[in-house]
Amino acid sequence: MSDELIQIETPFAFNEENQREFNALIGRYPVKEAAMLPTLHLAQRQAGYITPAVMKYVAEQLEVSVMKVKDVVTFYPMFFEEPVGEYVIRVCHTLPCALRDCKGVLEHLKAKLDTDIAAETNLAKGTTPDGKFTLMKVECLASCDVAPVIMVNDDLYKNLTPEKIDEIIDNL
Amino acid sequence: MAFVKLNDLEIEVEDGTNVVEAAREHGIEVPHYCYHPGLSRPANCRMCLVEPHVFFPPAGAIVPDRQLATGCTTVLRTAPPDRKLDGKYDFIVRTDSERVKKARADILEFLLVHHPLDCPVCDQAGECDLQDYSHRHGHDKSRYLEVKNVPPKKDLGPDVLLYATRCVVCTRCIRFADEVSGTGELGLVHRGSHDEIDIPRSHEGVPLQVLDNKLAGNVVDICPVGALISKDFLFKSRPWFLEKANSVCSGCSVGCNITVEYKADGVYRLKPRFHEDINQHWICDDGRLGYHYVNSDDRLQLPLKRVDDALTPTHWADALATITEKLSDIETEDIVVIGSAQGTNEDNYVLQQFAHDVLKTTQLGLFGQLPGEAHKFPQFTIEADKNPNTAGARTILGSANGNTVLEGDALWEKVSSAKVVYLVSGAPERPLEDAEKAALESVDFLVVQDVLPSEVTQFADVVLPGTTFAEKDGTFTNSTGWVQRIRKTIDPPGEARVDWEITQQLAKQLGGEMNYHFAGEIALEIAENVPGYADATHQKIGDAGIKLADSDQ
Ligand code: SF4
Ligand code: SF4
Ligand code: FES
Ligand code: FES
Repeated sequence: MSDELIQIETPFAFNEENQREFNALIGRYPVKEAAMLPTLHLAQRQAGYITPAVMKYVAEQLEVSVMKVKDVVTFYPMFFEEPVGEYVIRVCHTLPCALRDCKGVLEHLKAKLDTDIAAETNLAKGTTPDGKFTLMKVECLASCDVAPVIMVNDDLYKNLTPEKIDEIIDNL
Repeated sequence: MAFVKLNDLEIEVEDGTNVVEAAREHGIEVPHYCYHPGLSRPANCRMCLVEPHVFFPPAGAIVPDRQLATGCTTVLRTAPPDRKLDGKYDFIVRTDSERVKKARADILEFLLVHHPLDCPVCDQAGECDLQDYSHRHGHDKSRYLEVKNVPPKKDLGPDVLLYATRCVVCTRCIRFADEVSGTGELGLVHRGSHDEIDIPRSHEGVPLQVLDNKLAGNVVDICPVGALISKDFLFKSRPWFLEKANSVCSGCSVGCNITVEYKADGVYRLKPRFHEDINQHWICDDGRLGYHYVNSDDRLQLPLKRVDDALTPTHWADALATITEKLSDIETEDIVVIGSAQGTNEDNYVLQQFAHDVLKTTQLGLFGQLPGEAHKFPQFTIEADKNPNTAGARTILGSANGNTVLEGDALWEKVSSAKVVYLVSGAPERPLEDAEKAALESVDFLVVQDVLPSEVTQFADVVLPGTTFAEKDGTFTNSTGWVQRIRKTIDPPGEARVDWEITQQLAKQLGGEMNYHFAGEIALEIAENVPGYADATHQKIGDAGIKLADSDQ
């Protein structure tokens, strides 16, 4: 094999607060591996995105192979393997939102932020050069009754119009 | 035993057998990808669908008249008397109904959606379950018109390449790494039709871990398609050009059952062969890739004789004459005969017979590969003793005529004081330890029978070219007392000869009465004379091996 193995220079570890949270959540699962998703969310919140160091750390905490972690990380688009903007904007594009012109929402955001839409394996494509925003399409956000919707980090915004979008972005 | 109606057959199967195996036992193919008898059963490929006529629904439940079920997880068991079907069957299942046939063809069509159909350049062609099942069970065309996914080819480890385009995502390889080797290097990345087998990597593709465990090669065997490929075998030969012989690995004392695949010009690969009590479905990579010395250009092809301090090629008659001359006027106590843990029971039997009957010595030694490392996996063990036949050689050299068999320090002490030593080695790449070197150097006249020039042959006065496991018939006894057969595949290189034949020739030349014609004949004599080996005739051993009566492990 020509490939060199990756060397992890700065190992990752939970800070005190996240360690406490991890200790609390791990007790809620019958086996450690089952805590994979919340553990990854916790780690991502701390590290910004899932680096090899994070995968290795999570694997050790949950007593699974690194590959099991990588498997989950690449399965879910909620986990990032590269840096994202300070604000991650998720635009729902599933049917109900599509019928309520999510395309317009997307186009408006693209123009306003002057960025493309991120691809699942290329988040940089949808990230503004100043590192402030990442724009991505997602599947149903379970708020079809108030379509079209977007999420900005953990907050949901509904019944969007161009004016509303401007207001949201300008207030960030 | 369950009494089952399988298609139009009435069969009895052991409780717990699944439909795939039950059908296989009766010559009926139920195509399958994810199911492998040595692994867990996720039933994810749906290739094995069969039609059970009736399940056992709870009373009053409404069930569809007939539905398809996965044959790999449909387990046949004896039903309670009041639940017999048609009054007598424990189960009724069809593997050949129209619904089953359609399901198979449709599933194959799905599996081929992203497949590149590159059989002409695929290493697996000819032994590929995708190719074979497509021929036997598939549609002849696809309705898929869109662009195919083309995931890149990936390097997974020292001997394993992934042609991801050909993968049917059966996950056998992942389960092998999780369950058998316990090393967990493999997994799936991405989702749905973008699923790809991989090792853990950074986002940029740099691996965190590679598939380099000592059992890694097995994933290539169990991959039902041409996705996982051995670099060692890649583009070497089409599988249908290879001859096959059942044999035993000579890499360590486990004695894994193998198939040697060869052509006239050499051995091309070793594949595991199932043995329930020894290696199940697997072999290790040391064994798998350990055959290259057989094909080596450096193999000893002619006898060598020391002339003016240099080993010089000579012919057999001259080499043997040189030895007989030396042996004819030497005191018995000055001779040491050393057998080999790399040699067969037959080689060693003839050797001790020669020592006893012709040389009249009972001083024998046992030589072999230096101990290496043992490796334990959840479902497999590699032994530290890197010889295939330590147990057999030890018993056979020692037992028949009340000889003493010296090993280790005791042997080298004895060698130091000997004048003539006849050493049969056959251990590829055998480095010598200091004490061994000193002892061999001090011998007046050293005859070495070996397969490759080595540290051992450099001290020799005469070198006799012997044979490897691939070039002779015989038996090995493994560390747990199984006696198993190896079989001749290719001819020995040049003028190299089968080891016991060389010994017999020497014996004859010294006036001994020895007249064996083939290894099986020697085994018959071993059966008569060596305690415990009464059943160890080639005929009885067959392909399954026999376990020695007095080995209780
Ligand atoms: S690489 Fe082979 S064994 Fe592994 S999932 Fe794909 S088809 Fe199955
Ligand atoms: S475990 Fe030993 S006998 Fe089995 S394949 Fe490996 S080297 Fe050969
Ligand atoms: S489709 Fe957009 S929230 Fe459900
Ligand atoms: S072999 Fe039964 S589902 Fe794959």
